[in-house]
Amino acid sequence: MSSEQQPGVIVVDRGHPATRDGRGLVRGIGVVLRHLRDAFGPRLERPEQTSGVFTVQYPEERTPLPEASRNLPILLFDDDSGHELCTSCYQCERICPPQVIHITQARDPASGKAVPAIDEFILEYDACMSCGLCAEVCPFDAIKMDHAFELSTATRDPLTVDRVGLARPVSYYAQLAPQAWAEARDGAMKKLQGSRRRRTGTVGMTPARAAPAPADAPAAPIADAAPAGEPAGGEPVPASDAKAARLAAIRARNAAATDAPAPDAAPAPAGEPVGGEPMPAGDAKAARLAAIRARNAARQREGGDA
Amino acid sequence: MNRTIVISQILVIEQAPGWLVAALNHAIIAGVLLIGGAITMMLQVWVERRLIARMQDRLGPNRVGPEGILQSIADGIKMFTKEDIIPRAADRWVHLLAPIVALAPIAMMLAVLPWGRGLVAVDLEVGVLYIAAVSSISGVGLMMAGWGSRNTFALLGAMRSIAQLIAYEIPLIIALLGIVLLTGGMSLARMPELQAGIPLFGSSIPGAPDLGLGWFIFTPVGLLGGIIFFICALAEGERTPFDIPEADSEIVAGYMTEYSGMKFAVFYIAQYLLNFALAVLSAVVFLGGWQGPGVAWLADAGLGAAASLLSLLWLLLKAWGLFMLMVVIRAAVPRLRVDQLMSFAWKYLLPLALVNVASAALWVGLTEWSSIEWGNLLPVDGLAPWQRIGVAALVTAVINLGATRWVLRINRAPAAAPVVVPA
Amino acid sequence: MSAHESQLLQVNIGPQHPSTHGVFRMEVTLDGETVVALRPVFGYLHRNHEQLAEASSYIQTMPYTDRLDYFNSMTSNYGYALAVERLAGIEVPQRASYIRALMSELTRILNHATAIGFMINDMGAWHTALQFGMREREKILDLFEMASGARMMCNYFRFGGVVRDLPPEFLPYFDQLMRGLPAFFDEFEQLLRDNEIIVARSSGIGILPRDVAAGYSVTGPVLRGSGVPYDIRRAEPYGIYGELAFDIPVGSVGDVYDRTLVRFAEMRQSYRILQQIRERLPDTGGGHINPALANFGKQKALRPPAGEAYARVESPKGELGFYLVSDGSTQPYRYKVRAPSFINLTPLGAMCRGHLLADVVVILGSIDIVMGEVDR
Repeated sequence: MSSEQQPGVIVVDRGHPATRDGRGLVRGIGVVLRHLRDAFGPRLERPEQTSGVFTVQYPEERTPLPEASRNLPILLFDDDSGHELCTSCYQCERICPPQVIHITQARDPASGKAVPAIDEFILEYDACMSCGLCAEVCPFDAIKMDHAFELSTATRDPLTVDRVGLARPVSYYAQLAPQAWAEARDGAMKKLQGSRRRRTGTVGMTPARAAPAPADAPAAPIADAAPAGEPAGGEPVPASDAKAARLAAIRARNAAATDAPAPDAAPAPAGEPVGGEPMPAGDAKAARLAAIRARNAARQREGGDA
Repeated sequence: MNRTIVISQILVIEQAPGWLVAALNHAIIAGVLLIGGAITMMLQVWVERRLIARMQDRLGPNRVGPEGILQSIADGIKMFTKEDIIPRAADRWVHLLAPIVALAPIAMMLAVLPWGRGLVAVDLEVGVLYIAAVSSISGVGLMMAGWGSRNTFALLGAMRSIAQLIAYEIPLIIALLGIVLLTGGMSLARMPELQAGIPLFGSSIPGAPDLGLGWFIFTPVGLLGGIIFFICALAEGERTPFDIPEADSEIVAGYMTEYSGMKFAVFYIAQYLLNFALAVLSAVVFLGGWQGPGVAWLADAGLGAAASLLSLLWLLLKAWGLFMLMVVIRAAVPRLRVDQLMSFAWKYLLPLALVNVASAALWVGLTEWSSIEWGNLLPVDGLAPWQRIGVAALVTAVINLGATRWVLRINRAPAAAPVVVPA
Repeated sequence: MSAHESQLLQVNIGPQHPSTHGVFRMEVTLDGETVVALRPVFGYLHRNHEQLAEASSYIQTMPYTDRLDYFNSMTSNYGYALAVERLAGIEVPQRASYIRALMSELTRILNHATAIGFMINDMGAWHTALQFGMREREKILDLFEMASGARMMCNYFRFGGVVRDLPPEFLPYFDQLMRGLPAFFDEFEQLLRDNEIIVARSSGIGILPRDVAAGYSVTGPVLRGSGVPYDIRRAEPYGIYGELAFDIPVGSVGDVYDRTLVRFAEMRQSYRILQQIRERLPDTGGGHINPALANFGKQKALRPPAGEAYARVESPKGELGFYLVSDGSTQPYRYKVRAPSFINLTPLGAMCRGHLLADVVVILGSIDIVMGEVDR
């Protein structure tokens, strides 16, 4: 046992048993009673307070998350043009430690050449470990970490999110992390200009905004026509009119959703971009027009079938 | 008020047979007590959870019903709907009857407690003896649970809990004996009646107002006896720091391991109800029961019903206060190991309880015996009653205090010499 | 025991058990209530961490080190970053070192508060001390979330520094927390230190004599509780620990009570260190990361020259060491973690022999293990 006192070493004081005799117990109960008294007072608000109710009544109250908070990744697209910032460089897929990212590069429909855009982007939310390395490595600021964490689903399928489910407008990220986006925005927009020059048509546009006429073959994968809009894996181009009608209906719903803010605060991993951001007037009008056309076309078809 | 007459009036049965009226009488009283017990138990669980939560800087259940008061009902529904699992090797009948044997005696205990002025279900002359006997039967239920489950851990837990119950019943009863000596009888209904008046001196000072504060806990004998009794009640009810049988971190749930669903809930109810009954008993014996300021005044003014109601309120206040003290102790203090538990009972509480009985006997002698009974050694006849009480208080205080310090001193463990453990 | 024969009873505690601090099994041989022998069995949480690291690039392993000692992800990151920096000869700027030490000491406080709380919980005190410790831990986790983005799996350290500098809201919150910590320490000690029941259940229990402790190569509060004043921050200073003034608390008997007291004292010493760091932080320079490696591309393409390095940090549980062998490629040839919880578990049998079954859980709580480290 250490008996020599070296400098910088202190021997802990075990106290003297004679001073106890029940007094330690009583003092301990005193501490607890003090907390009981404070618990009926105002809630603990500042970190220097050590007594008082510390919990929040979730979900009525939600503590705000700091800017750097990271939960699961999202893919950004430009509000004005609808173009995704992602160029399919595969850096995030390569760096991801649990290998949950699966990218398919887009090709120019005419020439077949690879273009700096994505055809499909699958991210397995249920295996993602939220390390944020993908967001750190991305040279184009295309993939970022979202704060949303209320993502529970009843089955596992909706947790494999595709390009539609991952899409968020840049304005959404700007409101999540204003400081980080302010530093990155100029560089990211410049790179986006460069990518757009090499993209043709609607290649590289986020599917909700690349809304062709219903009869055309879409460039984006089809979401299943379930009411919750759960994203499924990519399906081949529809051959039948019924499927095209469903696609149009979903695009219409997505376009309608981007007009109005989402009704509840919790975003679900569905195909709808959330945040209720105000869109530039011209695009809003075009989207509404497309929605009306799609609805009419769907109604006409169903009336025709019946 | 004569309950028999009231019932026959309510029934408006002409010439109702006596046995029917008596049976209905008892049935109604029993029903009131049992329903009261059930509601008390649900309130207890709610109070405990919310109080402990507040002590831990959080709120506790507050979603089901206003402020979470219906949480117990939700838990009860959950318990009801759970599958009742009986291990294949278990002794079916013993396993089935154990919860009933654990709960029924506690319900029986409620019958002899005086709930208010004139509000006692059964006025037994030997109330203390009845309580002591009946509470022990509950322990048989625990043993049946441990044995009938045919599980080593359950048996281990049951053995430990029986050892604890037996060890702590002895100081419990002896502490009660001190008060039995003071009151000169074992009737529980009479004990509150003897605790009228002012603190310590009771009703012995002529002309003093009847404040209803002549509680035994203000006397040295009652103080030591009350503390010992409360600690033993914690152990009887298996509350922290004596909850080795209930929530053992090594052997899962002790004797309750193999129980699920409603049977588990019955054990739970039995434990809470026992704690409440013991709290009421402590209040009756040491804190004056239903005595309190205002009861005597209302009774003298002829408002008997109001006096009874106020007295019931006082008793419930005291009982709930003691229960909340149990909750606070539970939140603040870890549990004792089994051997430390036993040595605490045998080496601390039992000697003190015995000394307390001797003090009680001295008290009775000093306050009630005449000089001749003292063999003319003490000139007690010349003193007024309140003076005799004063002298007795002084003497017993000195004895009790000295005994406490002595017991604490001789139990102090020698400084721990480091044990060389073979590597 | 000579007058009659008695059978020894073998009992399994765990792997599913509320008090085993993770999936951990102990095969206990009992004579009545007394422990005759104890064999720890682990491996239930083995996740192949070392082989994964040997198949990934150096930076890809950083998030995995968070999950070793998942309570103290900052110190696990620190150890690994140190090892790679030694291997590759990377310099760390002054400010980054200060930030790293800040995070390490905050981690120490949160670990000790909850470790003591968990042990008291195992003794049966129904979460009260644990809740108080958790409350302070929550505040520290808020700080971690501000800086690194995550509460527990911080992934904050990079080779040559940390991933980003402290955000503007960090230091005001930190200052407020520091104002409240001494009151928390005092209250925590008042609740627990002189409590007769805690003393009765921890004094003289699980004694580990000095030479036995050194022989088993235990480290951390377990070793210091047995009286050996060995702390890596003093013995082999890393980062800026060489410039900071702090004391090393040691025990005298080596029982559970001593280890608990050592943890109380270490929390206060960590507070002292944090005060010094806070004073000096505004004057530090150099940025939050070595500029040569500020670009993530440099981090991920790191190719340390062939060789080996061993780096160790004083994690709240003991000496956490990382051994790396590089063959010149982007993936390590060999990666080994020296986990303090794993080594500290080895004398468990020796400490428990002769005690009662109820003490086993308390002794295990006093060693303070986390299975993520033990099994890797």
